[in-house]
Amino acid sequence: MKLSLKLEDQQQNQNPILFKAKIPIAVFGLPFLSAFSATHHHAAAASDKLSLSLRTHFPTGPSLKLSYNTPTTTANSGAGKMDTSPKPKSKSKKPKYSRFTQQELPAWKPILTPGWVIASFVAVAILFIPAGLLCLSASERVVEIVDRYDDECLPDSYSNKGDSFIQSKDTNKTCVRTMKVPRKMTAPVFIYYQLDNFYQNHRRYVKSRSDKQLRDRSYADETRDCKPEDNLDGDENEPIIPCGLVAWSLFNDTYKLSKGNKVLDINKKDIAWKSDTEIKFGSDVYPKNFQKGELIGGGELDETKPLSEQEDLIVWMRTAALPNFRKLYGKIYSDLEANETITIVIQNNYNTYEFGGEKRVVLSTMSWLGGKNDFFGIAFLTIGGICLFMAINFILLYVCKPRPLGDPSYLSWNRNPNGL
Amino acid sequence: MASNRPLPGPFFRSPISAGPDLSSPTSSKNSDGSQIVNLHPQQRPDTLQNSTSQQSISSNSWRANSVNFGSKGVHYGSRGGAGSEGFSMSMSRREINDEDARLVYVNDPLKTNERFEFAGNSIRTGKYSVLTFLPRNLFEQFHRVAYMYFLVIAILNQLPQLAVFGRGASILPLASVLLVTAVKDAYEDWRRHRSDRIENNRMSSVLMNDRFQEKKWKDIQVGEVIKILANETMPCDIVLLSTSDPTGVAYVQTINLDGESNLKTRYAKQETLPRIPEKDMISGLINCEKPNRNIYGFQANMEIDGKRVSLGPSNIVLRGCVLKNTDWAVGVAVYAGRETKAMLNNSGAPSKRSRLETHMNREIILLSSFLVVLCTIVSACAGVWLRRHRDELDIMPFYRRKDYSKQEVENYKYYGWGMEIFFSFLMSVIVFQIMIPISLYISMELVRVGQAYFMIRDDKMFDATSNTRFQCRALNINEDLGQIKYIFSDKTGTLTENKMEFQFASISGVNYSGEKTEFLGEEGGYSIQVEGQVWRPKMKVQVDRELLQLSQTRNDTKSKEIYDFFLALAACNTIVPIVVNTSDPTEKLIDYQGESPDEQALVYAAAAYGFMLIERTSGHIVIDIQGERQRFNVLGMHEFDSDRKRMSVILGYPDSTVKVFVKGADTTMFKIIDKSLNLDVVKATETHLHSYSSIGLRTLVVGMRGLSISEFEQWQSSYEIASTALMGRAGLLRKVAINLENNLSLLGASAIEDRLQKGVPEAIESLRTASIKVWVLTGDKQETAISIGYSSKLLTSKMVQIIINNNSKVSCRKSLEDALITSRKLINVTRASDDDASSVALIIDGTSLVYILDSELEEQLFELASKCAVVLCANDVSMIQMADVGVGLSGQEGRQAVMASDFAMGQFRFLVPLLLVHGHWNYQRMGYMILYNFYRNALFVLVLFWYVLFTGFTLTTAITEWSSVLYSIIYTAIPTIVIGILDKDLSRRSLMTYPQLYGAGQRQESYNAKLFWLTMADMLWQSVVAFFIPLFAYWKSEIDSSSIGDLWTLAVVFMVNIHLAMDVIRWTWISHASIWGSIIATCICVIVIDAVPVLPGYWAIFNLASSGLFWICLLGILVTAMIPRFVIKMFMQHCKPCDIQIAREAEKFSNRMESTRNGEIEMNPPQR
Repeated sequence: MKLSLKLEDQQQNQNPILFKAKIPIAVFGLPFLSAFSATHHHAAAASDKLSLSLRTHFPTGPSLKLSYNTPTTTANSGAGKMDTSPKPKSKSKKPKYSRFTQQELPAWKPILTPGWVIASFVAVAILFIPAGLLCLSASERVVEIVDRYDDECLPDSYSNKGDSFIQSKDTNKTCVRTMKVPRKMTAPVFIYYQLDNFYQNHRRYVKSRSDKQLRDRSYADETRDCKPEDNLDGDENEPIIPCGLVAWSLFNDTYKLSKGNKVLDINKKDIAWKSDTEIKFGSDVYPKNFQKGELIGGGELDETKPLSEQEDLIVWMRTAALPNFRKLYGKIYSDLEANETITIVIQNNYNTYEFGGEKRVVLSTMSWLGGKNDFFGIAFLTIGGICLFMAINFILLYVCKPRPLGDPSYLSWNRNPNGL
Repeated sequence: MASNRPLPGPFFRSPISAGPDLSSPTSSKNSDGSQIVNLHPQQRPDTLQNSTSQQSISSNSWRANSVNFGSKGVHYGSRGGAGSEGFSMSMSRREINDEDARLVYVNDPLKTNERFEFAGNSIRTGKYSVLTFLPRNLFEQFHRVAYMYFLVIAILNQLPQLAVFGRGASILPLASVLLVTAVKDAYEDWRRHRSDRIENNRMSSVLMNDRFQEKKWKDIQVGEVIKILANETMPCDIVLLSTSDPTGVAYVQTINLDGESNLKTRYAKQETLPRIPEKDMISGLINCEKPNRNIYGFQANMEIDGKRVSLGPSNIVLRGCVLKNTDWAVGVAVYAGRETKAMLNNSGAPSKRSRLETHMNREIILLSSFLVVLCTIVSACAGVWLRRHRDELDIMPFYRRKDYSKQEVENYKYYGWGMEIFFSFLMSVIVFQIMIPISLYISMELVRVGQAYFMIRDDKMFDATSNTRFQCRALNINEDLGQIKYIFSDKTGTLTENKMEFQFASISGVNYSGEKTEFLGEEGGYSIQVEGQVWRPKMKVQVDRELLQLSQTRNDTKSKEIYDFFLALAACNTIVPIVVNTSDPTEKLIDYQGESPDEQALVYAAAAYGFMLIERTSGHIVIDIQGERQRFNVLGMHEFDSDRKRMSVILGYPDSTVKVFVKGADTTMFKIIDKSLNLDVVKATETHLHSYSSIGLRTLVVGMRGLSISEFEQWQSSYEIASTALMGRAGLLRKVAINLENNLSLLGASAIEDRLQKGVPEAIESLRTASIKVWVLTGDKQETAISIGYSSKLLTSKMVQIIINNNSKVSCRKSLEDALITSRKLINVTRASDDDASSVALIIDGTSLVYILDSELEEQLFELASKCAVVLCANDVSMIQMADVGVGLSGQEGRQAVMASDFAMGQFRFLVPLLLVHGHWNYQRMGYMILYNFYRNALFVLVLFWYVLFTGFTLTTAITEWSSVLYSIIYTAIPTIVIGILDKDLSRRSLMTYPQLYGAGQRQESYNAKLFWLTMADMLWQSVVAFFIPLFAYWKSEIDSSSIGDLWTLAVVFMVNIHLAMDVIRWTWISHASIWGSIIATCICVIVIDAVPVLPGYWAIFNLASSGLFWICLLGILVTAMIPRFVIKMFMQHCKPCDIQIAREAEKFSNRMESTRNGEIEMNPPQR
């Protein structure tokens, strides 16, 4: 492939070329192109310009050029332009000539000819249709099991009273769900909890946290933004760590998986970003006064473990972008065979009943594209298709209604001699 | 030399606006959207002042079309007003009121200043001191609406209920703009202070204790006597007392004041002349006007030795003038420091607003209402959401209205749902603030500066003869240059060189216009011997041999008439002969310095025929007549004014007879010539005048009358009364002049050629081809005007001329109506026959114009005029600087026009590159930039808006607040400015070759409502793509808001930059650097922001970029977003190509086409 960008400019009338030669030569058996040119500057006969250049001349790849211009060119003129002639008057205010000030810098002036238009549509189509297919197949390969349990795990006696069910200390919140593996799921299998209609991006909520406090022990009382979960009982000496609504509402349903009688190990290590566990959450910051207030929002934390090890919290604190979101609960490092039955024992602790949220547990494998998502496949196929269609349309247009480029008969004053 | 040092800095940055209306902003915008360039050279404020008062064209309909006339007139003599030199007045009649006057005791500054606190001579042009800088600068900056908007938004954001952004982030945009402006202002002010300091510490010699001692300028006080040596600059306004010249003449150069480089004469009064200040005490009392800004007017009288002497503008020398050709001058300071006329004229440039900007404001209002709509939607939805969840809010995990931590449970951050709606409205205003592109105003200013830089640096607009570059004096109407539809041009000095050449003469009815004119001999022309030296005029004039012979004889009546004629030419003027040394010590040249090139030409002509003016003082002139030196007393002079259109001089002959010579325009001269004397001569002269003017020459008529002693005495007494009057002196003098100038006997007429400037016909042709209508206003006769019209290609033989030349209102109406019918017919015919050979030219004379403008015929005239391609007004009605774009020509003579203009250049023909090339570029660039800025900001706002719909309408932004702030400062600011300055749709060559391409600007092709809506539709699509592709891609996934925010940020920034890249026409390395550089800068910023551990989005971009989905998303967004734009662009390019598109293709492919299609590509030349 040889791509050549010719930087044309209107310098030709400025610097009429007296002589120009390009001679391909071989140096050490490698192809080079030597060029020699002499130009004549318009203003001053004295400042003829001589230039020599040598550049590599490989059939492909970038080329390297070494060039020499006669030293009449000023030092700052990188582009090899001419300075003005010796001035006739000592105090002439004549603007100094430079390609820049005369707005004549060498420039690439692309014009999209029909060929280019069609080529670019075809190129997009060629790129997007296979990409779409690839995405589709990737999404197809992902095996995903979703189970909504917030309603199923509510005893009939508490239907429509999910609130009181959750808030009561006496109710049994254990719930057993079974599900069938439709296709083989190869390890690692990711377990997510999915919340719907939970506005983790609500402005009040998002702002109600203290990243300083999470990171550094010395900022423990940095709870300004955390109201109303800032200090225990309003006592400023008893800051809540971690403070704020986000931490307070920590998700606290738990899942236990078993395959037949065999308990599946859920690995809850490394479910959070490395950057979060290592830097963002301090290894010397321990929970304090957490969930000790009047109103308990969700999960509690082990006060003996530093925040950097509380990965559930860390995952939760990465507030979701959208009101329907999943968060990683853990991973299973063993394959699940097709048609196997998985039993999930759920501790249904988290209150989504009072605002109409939904809870799901999700088991999913992962492709290079992430989870199951047909959107990209379809979108790319559509775009590719449209581009192909446009390419055909433009071919037809150019064939049926050709217009020579730069044809002066299309100029408005030639089409309509009266002008306006 | 040192004296070339300019006046205190800012003086040069601002035009002098002495006329009443000069600095008033133009109120006129054409209703049909046409743009007007007004060209006028050397316009004098004083003539303006005169003529505005008599102007009758102030009716709205006429003004609304921006048709403005300015008086130029032929100015023969120096300016009108009171010239009273040479006459000692022993009496004075009128006391100046104490309130209206200042009393200056000569050489007694203590007494002068004891009662009145006159300003000292130290000047302060700096605006700020160290202490006042901050408050004052801020105060001034907040005068701009844009800054107020910033401020209000920033203040709103500080309220705890509304704090959308962090405090720092919300202040940043305002602070950065304020800081940049403040630094710029501080730097400018520092420079002003520095120049003030230098100026204030210059030295002058001042009379102290009967000795001239050096004193700093800043210490000079009113009343002190100052001595100026040659080539020194005046430290303040001084009244001359005496000079090295025995007659009290001083020559000054006013280049620092009005840019005129020729020497002006100033006089010391006879009474004060003989005194030498060191020896005998000068004392006296000057009673003068209060300080005012009229640099051509001064009225005062002086009491000296019990006598009262009147003082006029010729007795005062203003600060900044340089003394030339005079060894020394002594004067008394009357105005000092900020009260000097120079400093009083130190006002700001007239502010105009470009049409594009006016249109832009319309769209800004649209965008503002769009902003309000968005905010209303958000707040209404927020209200509904709160209402629907009202029972759940108390303990809802992501709302938690109740605060249980205190003893009593209370609402936390909840103000009732009405207030919540209100607050969310205000918050959405804060979040969506950049919908109104405030940064656009700053970008526009920067772009204009860049464009101005290129216009100034254009070597095609450099005038080598006057060594002047193009000047941009107004910085806010660059883009108007690309939309001009009408050009109003003065003739003299604009189309012509203003280098007058004497051609023919008609003397006593005999026409000396033979073919036999030639230079006489190698030596050239007439010369005289003075003290062994040869004196000859500096300029050679072609002479008529027959006339030369006749002028040398002295016996018959004919030669007597010729004698009087040339004597009149040599004497009746205000020319000062200055003897200049040459390299040859035996030869000296006489350089005739004067303000009117016509007079110079006449004096040179007289010299060539042996009537050489060799000395002029205030009291007498010496003329060498055929080798014989004669001295005439100048007993009086009535200078030229635009009402009389003539000047007269009263000469006392050596034999003590007194004669008055008058010279002026034929229209006024024939009225005062005694036709009973010699009717044949008058008739013959009129015929000659007609033939002169029909070949485009400027004509003047000369007359003469002898005065009897009684007549003279009568005149003298009335002249004295008039010339010492302090009130209405000019009017009184005019009356005296009119009484004197009558019953003249006709001497003859002269014809002067004012050559067209180089390139004028070609330039006019180009402009006409660009469908710009050209109006030329001239003070010449109609025949002259038409003939000049032909020679400048203003008129062509194909044109149908409509000539309106009437003497009454009724006939005017009639001919206007006829003309309208004709023009309509013509236009219909051409439309039907598709033959554009005939366009219409209107020629209208001054009298008719007055009638038309006085009556209700204006509308008709306007209708007619707008149909005509060319309008020639042989008129003398005033032309004021009311045009949309004022272009001044820094030509031969003065630069007063330059001072008042928006743009100034050296040659008329530069108008072509200015309009067709730079104007076109400026317009196209600015139009695109405005649209792009609207698009860019609205796109970002809409992406924010879509997200708000998914956050419970709570104005959370996934995009970090820092990115929101940096978006219009770093992410996208530079490419638009660079492209706005550098992009070129067509090359200079194409634009010059095909002036029709200029039509793009006239038709508003780069910026119009259609384009705006199209851009907005595109914006809507792009925002949908940018927002919803990630939304669907990450729906129900574990994406966190910082990551998706980064994706949106990058997608939007890439998108707007690629959008721009698609529209860039010329890719220079600078465009590459700015566009790709911006993208890289954005990435760096996003990375830096995500590397701050205490921000919630820590490390998000790295996690994001390591997933394939992100890259696929980005690619999908960019391609999908650009498809509609690309398709529409390509479709339009192919099916409905605009002229620019075709020209661009031709530019690129013409070589190829030429070879394949064999020259068929030749663009048809204009068929006009």
